[in-house]
Amino acid sequence: MKLLGKILCKECVSNKYYVRCFKANHHNLHYRNSYKKNTCIDMLRQGYHKSFSELFTLIQKWNALREAAGPGSAIWLQTSLEEQPDKLDQLHHFLTRAEAAQRAEHYEDMYNHQLNLAYCFNNPEDKWLRNYFYEQCHRTAKQIKIDGGKKEAESHANLGLVYEEQGQLMKAAEHYEAFHQLTVGRMWRDERGQSHNLLACEHLWRIYTLLADKMLENNEHQQAIKTLIKAFEMAKKGNLNIYIEISTALCDSVGLGKAYQAIAKVLVSQEKVTEAIKYLEKFVDIAKSAHHSRSLVNACTFLGNIYNERVSIRFRNYAMFANALTDLPLVDETKAYYGIAKAHNMMVAVNSHTEAVDHVTIEYLLAWKENRSDMCTDPFTVDTASLPGPWPNLCDLPGAPSRRSPE
Amino acid sequence: MRVERLVPLALPRGQKLQCELCRGPAGLRCGACCVTYYCEVEHQKADWDSIHEKICQLLIPLRTPLPFYNSDKERNHGLEQQLSREKHLVELTHRVAQKFLFEGKHKEAIPAALHSLRFSIHIYGLNSVELVPPYLILAEASIGLGHLTQAEEYLSQAQWTVLKTSHCSDAIQSKLHRNLGLLYAAKGNFEESLYHLANDIYFASCAFGTNNISSSGGYYHMANVFFRQNKMDIADSLYSEATDIWHSYFSGLIDVQLQTIMSPSEIDILCLPALRFHSMELNTIFIPSADESQQAEASQILNAILDIREHASRQQPMKTGKVVHALAMLHYLILDIPKAHELAMKALLIISYLQKQDSAEAIQQLINLIKSKPFYAK
Repeated sequence: MKLLGKILCKECVSNKYYVRCFKANHHNLHYRNSYKKNTCIDMLRQGYHKSFSELFTLIQKWNALREAAGPGSAIWLQTSLEEQPDKLDQLHHFLTRAEAAQRAEHYEDMYNHQLNLAYCFNNPEDKWLRNYFYEQCHRTAKQIKIDGGKKEAESHANLGLVYEEQGQLMKAAEHYEAFHQLTVGRMWRDERGQSHNLLACEHLWRIYTLLADKMLENNEHQQAIKTLIKAFEMAKKGNLNIYIEISTALCDSVGLGKAYQAIAKVLVSQEKVTEAIKYLEKFVDIAKSAHHSRSLVNACTFLGNIYNERVSIRFRNYAMFANALTDLPLVDETKAYYGIAKAHNMMVAVNSHTEAVDHVTIEYLLAWKENRSDMCTDPFTVDTASLPGPWPNLCDLPGAPSRRSPE
Repeated sequence: MRVERLVPLALPRGQKLQCELCRGPAGLRCGACCVTYYCEVEHQKADWDSIHEKICQLLIPLRTPLPFYNSDKERNHGLEQQLSREKHLVELTHRVAQKFLFEGKHKEAIPAALHSLRFSIHIYGLNSVELVPPYLILAEASIGLGHLTQAEEYLSQAQWTVLKTSHCSDAIQSKLHRNLGLLYAAKGNFEESLYHLANDIYFASCAFGTNNISSSGGYYHMANVFFRQNKMDIADSLYSEATDIWHSYFSGLIDVQLQTIMSPSEIDILCLPALRFHSMELNTIFIPSADESQQAEASQILNAILDIREHASRQQPMKTGKVVHALAMLHYLILDIPKAHELAMKALLIISYLQKQDSAEAIQQLINLIKSKPFYAK
């Protein structure tokens, strides 16, 4: 149908214009008919019966939604689809082309037309229409084999976004996983040049984090742990710009930090200390690289506590790291922790010496009691070289009390 | 079928008897009812074959003077009875005419339709919307016989009536447009035809939904027009749509039977000869719910599509198989068991080449159902 310019509608009360001029013979009849009827008949006359069925069903669906919502709801006051000529036009334009493509089995074209329709309806009022066309795209994409599944993958990503928006996280996760699976190992890129695979990893990481949040709210710790593991793996695989991404994530989703802590607590309560320690270490690494001091402090403190309580031999004094930062309110606390840690550290040595009841060790013990040295230089003491990082001087910290013996 | 010859001169002055069909001077009278007159034997025979056999006795109370009633109440009651008899006749004649049309017997349809028209005029008046269905049947029959001007006349009448009636139902409008479409197609004016058939499908969808069997006729006729215009892909798509509608309708009916009566495993057991008599009692429940005109329409459409598919230059076995399957289900539902069996086996053969598991299963279930019938003779 050629666009013959706009014609003033004689019937329509709101002075809307007919955008398309229908066949000349039926002008009088067409002015008597509604725009919807003219569009439908136009479609059918040209043989596009599937487009007609789809349009008809969509209009009926809208009416049913409105009926179900009842008077007083938001949808009650909206104008019906059948009374919006421009939307009807767009539907006519793309649906007919999609059907022609379908007949000729050019599924790629069909997909593109349906995708265009989805983009057309990307406003808050027509969300249901947009989602409907995303579903249609997905169905079409499954039949496109020539491009090796690229369109199918894209359609999965679109559907994932739709479900995420609606809050159906599990379904969104399913689609993102499918997206990821299809894009693994492929070098596809989208219009902005971003690799599909990285996009998949990013989506999955985000959705897993959201899922884990929800699980934590429901106290499903185990599930949350598993989901966060997956999230972390995705983040790694995506080679995401970890510094920026995760720091933004840590800023945005404080949940991540809390989640890690929560995982660790749960694991500790379940006596799986080594795993807990692993997670906390991971978290510390991230926090360190993102220079996120607060979380770092939290993480280090927590780790330190664990180590304190467990008195493990391979002792790492994470409280030291906290001291490296200038988080003043916590300095005293961390100093106390540091002290405890040091004490524990020495306890190992002292105990071993006490047990070894021979003359030399007793000499050393007495010497230590005299001057309270660190026994760092003593070969019997713990190997400090294995301890990470430089040991900052406590005296150098602001507000530090002077110590009797130097470090 | 006694026929009595009349002598027009012997009638009282002024009383003119007219032929039932052509309204010419009458020379014969039907011996069975004695109230129907014809001009010549041909018209008498035509009317008898078409409708008179069925309504002969029913005409008697309508064409003889009313008996003398004693009270007003009795008179009213008598009038009401007449009215209900006439309405019954209208419906009966309409149904019969419709059936003839679908079977392609256009000539036989006309007398029946004329009766329907006359009774409707008598009951409802000349401008009422109830006259539209008989006009449509007459028009369709005329098109079938090639009397295009006559058909156009009837259709103009119908269209005018519809336009004047503000609350005309979508179903009637759909039928009107279908006939207009057929008329223009017969005249060769394809654009007009497509316009009207599009209207037909639109109104049918408004009235019944897009997937209803009432729209299937519209799709079929539209496909024919595109076929004649040589737009094969559009025609193919429309034929498939019509087939799909009937296929899903019949599948639904058969599913209902399968679920309510017995489970598929029981059907397998019923294939054994010994248990065939058991299913005979259940036969009475297997009454097809599609009425006769729908049956006839389905048969006409599906057979025509099958014909086209089989003679197409590029064979599409999947679609052909579907048509055959639908036809098999139709014959099963109208209890034409041997034909159903033959068609079902043919469908199975076609589908099994294509390795489509679910379609093959459906056909297999149908075959089992067919075999469970006692009429089935190996």
